[in-house]
Amino acid sequence: MTNRRAFMKSGAMALFATGIAGGIPSFIAKAANSVKSNYLFKKNKTLVCIFQRGAMDGLMAVSPYTDPNLKIMRPTLYMSPAQTEGKQFDLDGRFGLHPSFESLYPYFGENRMAIVHGVGSPNTTRSHFDAQDYMESGTPFSKGTPSGWLNRAVGLMGHDATPFRAVSLTSAMPRSLYGDNEAVAINNLQDFAIQMRGNPMAANMAAGSFEELYDQTSNNILNKAGKESFDALKMLNVNNIKNYQPLTGVVYPNSPLGNSLKQIAVLIKMNIGVEVAFAESGGWDTHFNQGAANGTFARNARDFSDSIAAFWKDLAAYQDDVTIMTMTEFGRTAAQNGTGGTDHGRASCLFVLGNDVKGGKIYQNIGSLAKDSLEDGRDLPVSTDFRAVFSSVANGHLQINNNAVLFPKWEGNGVGVMR
Amino acid sequence: MQFKRIFKSVLVAAGLTVFSSFTNSLFVINSNGVKMPYKKYGYSERQAAARLLDRFSFGAKPGQIDEVLKIGIDQWMEEQLDGKLPDADVEQRLSAYQTLALDNETIVNTYMNAGQVVRFAAKHGLIDRDTIKGDNKKEYQENLRQLMLKEGFKPILQLQNELINQKIIRAAYSNNQLHQLLTDFWFNHFNVSITKQQCQQYILTYERDAIRPNVVGNFETILEATAKHPAMLEFLDNANSVSNSNRIVNKRGNAYVDKQMKQRADEMMATNPTGAAMLNKTIQAKKVQGLNENYAREIMELHTMGVDADYTQADVTSVARALTGWSVRPLIKDAPGRNLYERAGKQNLEKRGFVLEGDFLFRADKHDDSAKIILGKSFPENGGYKEGREVIHLLATNPATAQFICKKLATRFVSDTPSVVLVKHMATTFQKTNGNIKEVLIAMVNDPLFWNQKISSQKIKSPFELVISTVRATNADIQQPLQLYNWCNRMGQKIYFYQAPTGFPDRASYWINTGALLNRMNFGLAFAAQKIPGINFDLLALNNNHEPESPDQALIVYSNILLPERDQAANIQRLSAMVRDNTVVDKINQAAEKNSPPPANDMMGEEMMNNSVKSNKEKASKGKAVLGKKNKPITMQYLAGNNTMVSQVAGIIIGSPEFQRK
Repeated sequence: MTNRRAFMKSGAMALFATGIAGGIPSFIAKAANSVKSNYLFKKNKTLVCIFQRGAMDGLMAVSPYTDPNLKIMRPTLYMSPAQTEGKQFDLDGRFGLHPSFESLYPYFGENRMAIVHGVGSPNTTRSHFDAQDYMESGTPFSKGTPSGWLNRAVGLMGHDATPFRAVSLTSAMPRSLYGDNEAVAINNLQDFAIQMRGNPMAANMAAGSFEELYDQTSNNILNKAGKESFDALKMLNVNNIKNYQPLTGVVYPNSPLGNSLKQIAVLIKMNIGVEVAFAESGGWDTHFNQGAANGTFARNARDFSDSIAAFWKDLAAYQDDVTIMTMTEFGRTAAQNGTGGTDHGRASCLFVLGNDVKGGKIYQNIGSLAKDSLEDGRDLPVSTDFRAVFSSVANGHLQINNNAVLFPKWEGNGVGVMR
Repeated sequence: MQFKRIFKSVLVAAGLTVFSSFTNSLFVINSNGVKMPYKKYGYSERQAAARLLDRFSFGAKPGQIDEVLKIGIDQWMEEQLDGKLPDADVEQRLSAYQTLALDNETIVNTYMNAGQVVRFAAKHGLIDRDTIKGDNKKEYQENLRQLMLKEGFKPILQLQNELINQKIIRAAYSNNQLHQLLTDFWFNHFNVSITKQQCQQYILTYERDAIRPNVVGNFETILEATAKHPAMLEFLDNANSVSNSNRIVNKRGNAYVDKQMKQRADEMMATNPTGAAMLNKTIQAKKVQGLNENYAREIMELHTMGVDADYTQADVTSVARALTGWSVRPLIKDAPGRNLYERAGKQNLEKRGFVLEGDFLFRADKHDDSAKIILGKSFPENGGYKEGREVIHLLATNPATAQFICKKLATRFVSDTPSVVLVKHMATTFQKTNGNIKEVLIAMVNDPLFWNQKISSQKIKSPFELVISTVRATNADIQQPLQLYNWCNRMGQKIYFYQAPTGFPDRASYWINTGALLNRMNFGLAFAAQKIPGINFDLLALNNNHEPESPDQALIVYSNILLPERDQAANIQRLSAMVRDNTVVDKINQAAEKNSPPPANDMMGEEMMNNSVKSNKEKASKGKAVLGKKNKPITMQYLAGNNTMVSQVAGIIIGSPEFQRK
């Protein structure tokens, strides 16, 4: 905290603030010209995490289609690269990618996107709430962990930071970012101001009063959130955001995830020190009429894929600095249920996209789907601990090397997805 | 059915309280009543009244502390627990609403959801699904609107808006504040969400019939009411969780129904191909039906025992099997299944083990009637409908449930981290009184641990509570409740839309974060400046039409009005310093310069891309010139000229940390 305060008062900050205060859309101009400015502060690269809430069916996203058991267990949900079976993208002769991931598929071919399959938690809970809690806290057997793993990650970077070091484009702070290090959660960046229609002066005056009040309140939560709010407020001119135009030809889906990623792109291009960004994608709890090539899953997958692809293209010159990792709390039953869907299961899969990712490969240790090889006779077993992937990505991309803090009580090895 | 509908509308007209008082009287238990030990713990009667209003209402109205004292604070608490006070103001405000007294059947046949609308449009030859896309969209929507109007259908948005509005109106104006609070609490505990299409039409009756009448009754009553309501049955998929493992399935009855359906589909083919296709789809769907564990898991994890209780995946599966066949009567008029049920007749169905209770339907032909073991208890085969009820009883009376529910109540009304001992005391009462919620709440307020000074004012208001407490503190008149709903939404609480079955988390750290906090401050400013359309109040009237002479005085006066009985000397002192600070002028100018919005076209055009830093600096200084007040002392009064000063002060108080607490 002291360090950050020091930074805020430094000359760099003053210079930087002038840049914003002038009302110049200089950051955006630069972004459009694809010219990166020199940072006025220390910053590692940016990790963007997307949480797929509700538990994505990993066996439909990336199907081990050659396993004969899958077809038997999923009479109406089974898919493969065959014309008549949903036309999946054949990844390696064993795994097929759901056709709705069309816009992401090229990155697999370009070796920029890796898939890790059979990922999950060693804790066998099939409760969304618990499984998300464990995955986000990074401590699968300890509910009481107050901080989230991404918050600990930013704490390990070992340098001063701006208030935008960790941002979540969600209306509530995600569990992953709970903790002592500053983090910002906001659904819409345009709300990031003290505003009063028709009376900006009164608003500014009020802002001063509020800052003082929150600075002095004895309530810790209010005090901390207040400090973070005003620090962030000083750096961000909302007027620049309203008029943001993505790169020519890039169209973000008009969906919650599309809008979140678009705003993360704005923050990254503004060079205001984002090191960890977080967004969410919903609707993956497909108990009922999941569909195959079309339907609920396919629609969600398309939105998910198109949002990420748009974001990636929009980043353009910033791509080298950004890695995207997706995650979901668990997978779904290997067999379809009685209502054309799948119930809560164990392992799922995740995607890692970035220029320093060793992509074009499926990292997996998946065996047969025969009933006696399944966990509890029903679920794809967890063969890769989620911490093995998260730690590798964090270590490789953000240059932090302290797994004991990142994932306490875990002594496993990483998965070598990063270069 | 007809009687029931009339009965309901009479009730609504008479003020809805009749019904809840009727049910309450069924649960009379010899209690020693409310006797709160506040004096022993350093509270004056006045402070105790303020504390009660903070915790058991959506906030004190001006002068309400005196009213509570007049009634007597124990007596006030009793009245609130009973929830029988007349509510003429609420009735009057809700009198024009069209949906609040409707039953499920009328609702699903009037306020179609998106799926029904598409089928309706297809049936009337309005689409060709392809034409929905692209250029024809507007035309399609207009045609659809006209046709729906002609056929007597209404937009589902009206249903949703009235649901949202009534919650806001009741919270703001009901005299039975605690019952409104508890309705909010139990709805959130047994959360269902508008985001799920299959249940969205039932949410209004869910709150009205399953939650509201049961908020201070026995826990098992509200648990079973939610378990059997279409909203919950659809939200957590139990309506679709079925089994063919039973005696009936291969007998004539079920086969007969299937055959009839097939025949009907064939007949319809010529005259109504869409209907026939629907029916065939239903027949197809029947073949792949099966077990769905969603509700079984959540009733144990979220509604009763809690996730940390001692049960296994096998228990979850067995509970799911025990609840197979718990379903919804077919309500849509042209639904294929509906005619079949009507033709079969209630008596015939009951003979076969079916149960029809309002809109709840137990389908004996879809119930798994094999033997089960749940939480170590054996359930013999052929348990039928009764088996499910016994499971609910088993869950409601499990000691883990007493603990889990009492902790949640204490978290709601006392502190985010309630005393373990207090929860234990409440749980003991829960078990002794067969889960009587009123008695549990009495045990809570009678407990010395409720009156611990350290924990007072540590709960943070949810956005909904912030908004409603502001309305109450200012005696505001709400003409457009949806405007307040939009603000709740911006502050992170989209009521009735929370997607997860957990409901909104009840803890400060969930509500308070950077973005949400700024919007709380913005809400305070917008509200006090009367910038929220359809919300009217008179700040000066709150002070008997005396205009404070200075910002200092305004601070003191309005802090006392908006935050009665809080220790706010420090608060006032800090703000006074701000007001008197001469450097404030510079601060304002600096801030104004920085944040004043640039002229309309000054942002993203091609020319701007090439502009140098210098030219923009010039623009900024031009902005300063326009303001033109750099060297003049600006005080709040100067900014004000009229009541702006008062509203500015009020806005800061509403946005201040102290007002976020309850």
